[in-house]
This record gives sequence, structure tokens and C-alpha cells, in this order.
Amino acid sequence: MYIDQDLCERCMDCIPVCPVGAIGIEETKCARHFSFRVVIDYETCVECGVCRRLKKCPQKAIKQVEDIPYPRILRAAFSDPTFRHASTAVLGRGTEEMKTNDVKNEFTRDNVGFSVEVGRPGVGAYFRDLQKVTMKVVALGGDFASYNPVVALMDKSTGALQEEVLDEKVLSAIAEFVVPRDKALKVLADLVAFINAELESVATISVIARNEVDGGHAFLRKLKVHGKVHGYVPYPNGKVNLGIAALKGGKP
Amino acid sequence: MTHTLNRRGLDNGRPGEEICVLSMIHYQDRNEETAEAMRELARTIIAYGPNNIMGSSVGATPEQIIESAAASGVITAVFTDKDTVGRLVREIKTKDPGISVVLSGLFSDIHDICEYAGLTEHTSNYAVGISGNAALLPDHITLEIATQCGHGLVSRHYIQHVACRIAEGKMTAREGAELLSKPCVCGIVNKKRTEEILLKMAELTSFTEGHEINYAVRQKRKFS
Repeated sequence: MYIDQDLCERCMDCIPVCPVGAIGIEETKCARHFSFRVVIDYETCVECGVCRRLKKCPQKAIKQVEDIPYPRILRAAFSDPTFRHASTAVLGRGTEEMKTNDVKNEFTRDNVGFSVEVGRPGVGAYFRDLQKVTMKVVALGGDFASYNPVVALMDKSTGALQEEVLDEKVLSAIAEFVVPRDKALKVLADLVAFINAELESVATISVIARNEVDGGHAFLRKLKVHGKVHGYVPYPNGKVNLGIAALKGGKP
Repeated sequence: MTHTLNRRGLDNGRPGEEICVLSMIHYQDRNEETAEAMRELARTIIAYGPNNIMGSSVGATPEQIIESAAASGVITAVFTDKDTVGRLVREIKTKDPGISVVLSGLFSDIHDICEYAGLTEHTSNYAVGISGNAALLPDHITLEIATQCGHGLVSRHYIQHVACRIAEGKMTAREGAELLSKPCVCGIVNKKRTEEILLKMAELTSFTEGHEINYAVRQKRKFS
């Protein structure tokens, strides 16, 4: 994304809309007077497209290059939710996680899923930060979800990402994996401590568990107790798959 | 809607304030039959009058929203009334669309809705907070709006800019909430709750004096 200086009238209305603060002022000095221009910092911009979609610029001075080169295109893929990921054909962050679990049954009562979204909320992160997490997941014995666009960039045996992507910055990217249920709380404690100590950016950690047969939240009760010792508090709100897809045709 | 679970500010003391509804077709099940089921499901959701819905930020008509849901295999909306969602879910269950439906909100609200609709929770996604370099985060009130967009598209600077405009009497909180709902392409910013938060922000001097709040306005003053 860039600002066409021939069109920009320097109204600055676009400045606050950028989620990562990439739009700013660049001072320019002439011999006699002081001036400025509005610019998008190429390194900070994550190509999320908000500035252009909001149509804040009456002059249409905010523009996108015709073809964003690789690996920079990954910024758009992981930051612009209107972008459909090539590896998974899913919009947004490119993963279905538990949203379709009543069809795919990836998360069972024997395992627990984790979703670590690096860069969220609204901070952004480099893939090198995500790599710290993916390598830690390997060390913790996590089994990566295969249907996630991060996996296409990664050596699953080590968690290492492709070298050329490490300096690309995105709004967020998600590492998803499962562990056996009896190891889940230990993994969570290690992850929280690791991320607090090692990440340059921030991350949200979420936990996916099958409900009990009666719909009960047994694992949430465990999290509440465990969190008191390990420095986190589960939110009172969350996301629940209602199992409606599994009803079709009388399937259990 | 991957991260609606990480929304800040919901409280068991204020039940029914906000429930997001999402439906998604599993990628291996995308075909004309499921696309038609999604059309019908989108029609049903629209009929129950959500506070916000996918496509509304770009001014899409109901027909465009329905077709977009069928083409993309996903629809998202947010409601501000638990009873309405209960009736909606019961109707969806009766229609048996064969595609996944997810609710996001207080677990106690979702449980009540499940009971009303004759369902049991299948799989849950729990948030355990934000870890890492917390110094990079904005204040907790700004986060209550920013986290309403799971994709992180509602800028903290924009939120603070809008709050300042409200404090200056240059726009209403309702207009501000409308503006802040636009970056969220999933249409799940709760405009009613956002309006209430903006009013709180506008009243706080910490947001209207000396804060990073009005970044653009300060820049304008500096250079004009």
C-alpha cells in the first residue's frame, strides 16, 4: 500500500484508521519553508487493506501495487480477511479450527486443541516471533493441525519456518495444534511462561475442548483452578459449536 | 470470527448483552446443496434482526449478504438479545441445515440458549488471555472495542480519535459506533455496546486530554 503524492491533499483523515499505525507524517524541509507529506511506512504496513477499504481518501490517493511480490504477499494473506488463503481456501486467518468440529471431529474427548495467535490483538508480529512459538510447540510434543496456512510455511518436524518469510510482519498468524488431554494443562503452563518470556509481540492463547456428553464444561473448570496457580484467568465468554451439523440425517 | 472468544468487557453481571452467531460450511462439504442450505440459514439470521451482520459495513443488501454467504461458505452476525438468539437457534435446529453453527458470548448465555433450543454444547473454545509483551497493548477500555473485531482491523488510534470527536461534540456516540463498525468485514462489531463504551471514553479526561487519542488532530494542529 502506498500514497500517491500527486493526489494526496494532506487532509490526514487516513492516519488514525491504520491498525498498526503505519500511516504518518514525513517532514520535508525546503530552503525557505517547512512542509510535510503523508506516507505509509513500507516496513510497518501489514497490507491489511483497511485504509483503502474505508474509502477515507476523497482523492483516492491510497493505492496498492498491481502485484505484491512474494514473500511480502504473505502480509496481505495473513492480515486482510478478504484474502482467501491459497493453501486452505479459507478466508480470514485461513483456518476453521473448532468452528466445523461437529463435521470433522478433530477435537475429541481424548485430546485438547490449542490456538496461539501471535500479534493479536491489534499489535502485529513478525513471522520470526511466530517461529519461536512453533518451535516450542514441537518441543512440547504438539501435533500441528494440517489445515492451517502456517503449516504450508513450516517444517513440521522442527517448527522452523521458511527463512525468507521470517522478516515479514502480519496482523496475526495462528499456530494450531493438539495434545493428549492428560498433558494439556502442563503444555498450557509451559506455553504461557514461554510466551511471556520470549515474544517481542503479544499472543492470545485459546484452548479447544469437546464438551461432556451432557454439554458440560469440565475442562473449563480445570482451567479455572489451574489458572490460579499459573497466572491466567479464563474469560467468562467464549465460543461454542452447537453440534447442529452432526444432527443431519439423524447422525449422532 | 476465529477470535470473538477473546472479546474484552463481557460480564456475567450483564447477561444477554452480546451473542455472535457464525455458520460455516466445512471446506470438504462445499457444494450446491450446502450453498443452498447456507442461503436459507442466512435468510433466517437476517429475519431475526441482528445488530450487525457480515456485509453491512459495505452497505450490502440482504440479497447480496445471502449470496455472499453461499459463495464464501460463511456468515457472521451479532445480536444483543438472548431470547432472540434462542428463537433463532431453535428455528435453525428445526430446519436441520447440516452445516455448523457456532455461538460466541457468555458461556452461561449460550447454555441457556442450548437448553431452550434442545441442544447440548458440542465443542468449546476457551480464552485464557493475552500473553507476551503487554506494554504494546492499548488501555483496557480501548481493548473493549478493538477486540470486537477478531481480525484486529479496528485501530486503537481510530477508536481514540472517534472518542475525542465525541467529547468535542463533533459527532454522537451512535455515529462513532457506526464508523468503528466499518473496518470489521465480518460485521460483528456490536454497535450498541460500542456506543456505550464510547460514551464512557468521551467522559474520561484521560482520553480527551494529553492522550494519544487524537493523533491526527494533533498532527493537523502542528502543521496547519
